[in-house]
Amino acid sequence: MNRWKRLAPVTAVVASAAMVLSGCGGSDDDAAADNSKLTVWMMGEGSEAQTKFLDGVETEFRQKHPDTDVVVQYVPWLEAPKKFQAALAGGEGPDVTELGNTETQGWAAQEALADLTGKFGGWAEGKDILPDLVQNAQLDGKQYGVPWYAGVRGIYYRTDWFAEAGVQVPKTWDDLVAAAKAVQAKKPGTYGIALPGNSELPFYSFLWGAGAEIATKQGDSWKSGYNTPEAQKAVKFWTDLVTVHKVAPPAAAGWNEIDARTQFATGKAAMAFGGSWQQGAIKKDNPEIEKVWGTFPIPGPDGQPAPAFAGGSDIAVWKDSERQDLAWDYLTVLLSKKNDAAFAESLGFFPVYQDLVGGDKYTSDKIMAPFATAMQNTKLTPLTPKWVEVSRTKTVTQAMNSSVIKGQKTVEKATADAAAEMESILNAK
Amino acid sequence: MTTLTEVPETSAARETPARRRRRVDRLPYLLLLPCLVIIAVLLLWPLGQVVAMSFFRLNNVRQLRGDREWPWVGFENYAEIIGDPFFLTVLRNTVLFAVANVVLTMILGTLVGLLLNRLGRKMAAFVASCVMLAWATPALTGTIVWKWIFDDTSGLVTWLFNALPDGLSTSLFGRSDWTGYGWFNSPLLFFSILTLVVVWHSFPFIAVSVLAGLKSVPSELHEAARVDGAGPWKVFWRITFPLLRPVFGILIVLSTIWDFKVFTQQFVLAGGTQDRPTFMLSIYSYAEAFSPPPKYGLGAAIAVILTLILLVVTGFYVRMVLKQEEDA
Repeated sequence: MNRWKRLAPVTAVVASAAMVLSGCGGSDDDAAADNSKLTVWMMGEGSEAQTKFLDGVETEFRQKHPDTDVVVQYVPWLEAPKKFQAALAGGEGPDVTELGNTETQGWAAQEALADLTGKFGGWAEGKDILPDLVQNAQLDGKQYGVPWYAGVRGIYYRTDWFAEAGVQVPKTWDDLVAAAKAVQAKKPGTYGIALPGNSELPFYSFLWGAGAEIATKQGDSWKSGYNTPEAQKAVKFWTDLVTVHKVAPPAAAGWNEIDARTQFATGKAAMAFGGSWQQGAIKKDNPEIEKVWGTFPIPGPDGQPAPAFAGGSDIAVWKDSERQDLAWDYLTVLLSKKNDAAFAESLGFFPVYQDLVGGDKYTSDKIMAPFATAMQNTKLTPLTPKWVEVSRTKTVTQAMNSSVIKGQKTVEKATADAAAEMESILNAK
Repeated sequence: MTTLTEVPETSAARETPARRRRRVDRLPYLLLLPCLVIIAVLLLWPLGQVVAMSFFRLNNVRQLRGDREWPWVGFENYAEIIGDPFFLTVLRNTVLFAVANVVLTMILGTLVGLLLNRLGRKMAAFVASCVMLAWATPALTGTIVWKWIFDDTSGLVTWLFNALPDGLSTSLFGRSDWTGYGWFNSPLLFFSILTLVVVWHSFPFIAVSVLAGLKSVPSELHEAARVDGAGPWKVFWRITFPLLRPVFGILIVLSTIWDFKVFTQQFVLAGGTQDRPTFMLSIYSYAEAFSPPPKYGLGAAIAVILTLILLVVTGFYVRMVLKQEEDA
């Protein structure tokens, strides 16, 4: 008891100081307490640039809500699913959260996210967001997330090695193989192309380029497109890079995009698949590379750039949040065209607004221009909350490609197995 | 026991004998109580929860929170798992891996234990501390280091194989350039490396326990056997092994339990839950329960199956050990 008595004056001093500092007295304590704090979860490690940008957003937001303190917490990408589950199970979640745009439907199906259909419909700027991205954040016709930034994958290449080997930027599949072989022959000990054999998204450009679909909805059930000759052609091309042309090593069967990117950054590969946002990471591994790199869109078989998956992030409002209106206000500040353009640029992504991606803003940027071209032709993975099980949990596509690269299955068997597994997951009750 | 009974005896000298006995009897339970409470809260309660969950269809986090109903499905989760041909692969992986690892761990651990017993004081201390270092390394850290050792481009093993003379390497393995070789590509190779990592982590405990057992065996017995002309092989099987049978029994039980539920090492080496052909029961359970979309009921059922298998296996061992002791 004595200790509490001694602490009392200290508490009083601290409390009154806090009141003076906050400058608004203590009259409406109960009402203000509820909105005094807005918790925002952001993915990744939180670079200096991002922290600075979010500070700016907070300042802008507080002009309208001076009593609300915005607390930003960074969640590493790989931790996010566990963190979301724990938040959902425990009932203590954020108010606003970023999430990967391939995950929005899954979390919406888990009733983690608030239905934003009404709010989104009444928001003028939102009408300019790329429709593919908007649709990707919907479940059963309701909007559960708002696209924040987006990007596509392309191919990074070494301009100096290409010049030495006397090859041009590939425009077709055959060009791609020829270039990889020529550079690899010229530079012993390197790989022609760092193939992320354990990643699905770069592969889809080949699948779509060949004219196949991942899965299509026919009536009430999903039909996988992996059983078609077009899909088999794509799988054969992708895996032949290792098994027949040997322009990528057998270990590529287990590489993800970061592994592949590192091979390129450390001067072990002439080409690598990567998104525009990976420029920073590549430069961090090898600052010198800036002088000798270029990019080009993933080619289709016949000379046209292949369609690409528009990856990126959505912003969502947490369903359990008691401050959903406040959260929406924060979201609209964060996603205003001005802020969106500034932030996307700092990350090496593209803003999600149609009018900001088009035009000639990117034509002079040797790295971004090819990605901007690819952004004009994007496609989506199947729109169903069960897709995440195919893509992340059962990794159907990755397993299909890996099994062919590892020599465990033929292309025909691997595609048939993958099609059957995909259909059984997507059509499960 | 004498010290325990002495204390109440002096203080309760004037009490009736009956009362005194009751107070003495209660003491051990009182002392056990804190442990039991902690075990019940931290172990038995979650265990009961897992068993209960395995009988419901739980596909939504909100169900765990109690916001949604728990639909009872009886043994449907179990039927779904056992009916899936993939379960056979997982079960085969788990059993083969556990058997191989228990055998290898026991052999290596025993050999090192015997070695430690024979070494001089200084050398034994040196070897023992080296061995303990492997034991003291956390599974996560140790496995990450092993993963780097087997890195396809800059790993030590890749470098070593590249350092082999090209002719020798080609005639032995059919390749001379190991850069970019996928060490984790084939399930067999993956399990070999996983075995290496797990045995490396677990043999020190066996070695130290066997050493402790050996220290308790009177050296005259060994000397007598040697005088009678028995070689090391015979001495081990005729003298050491029968005397240390209870120690070996408990070590085998413990190793079996550990090797059946290896998780960390596999999770790190396989880089998550993507490499399904190398799944074992523990990682299978985790992947089903927590990978999106969550299937807590199914995951719980797999965990229960794993627990049941472990109970049967260990029960069998314990019986065997007890029986042998009776026979002996």
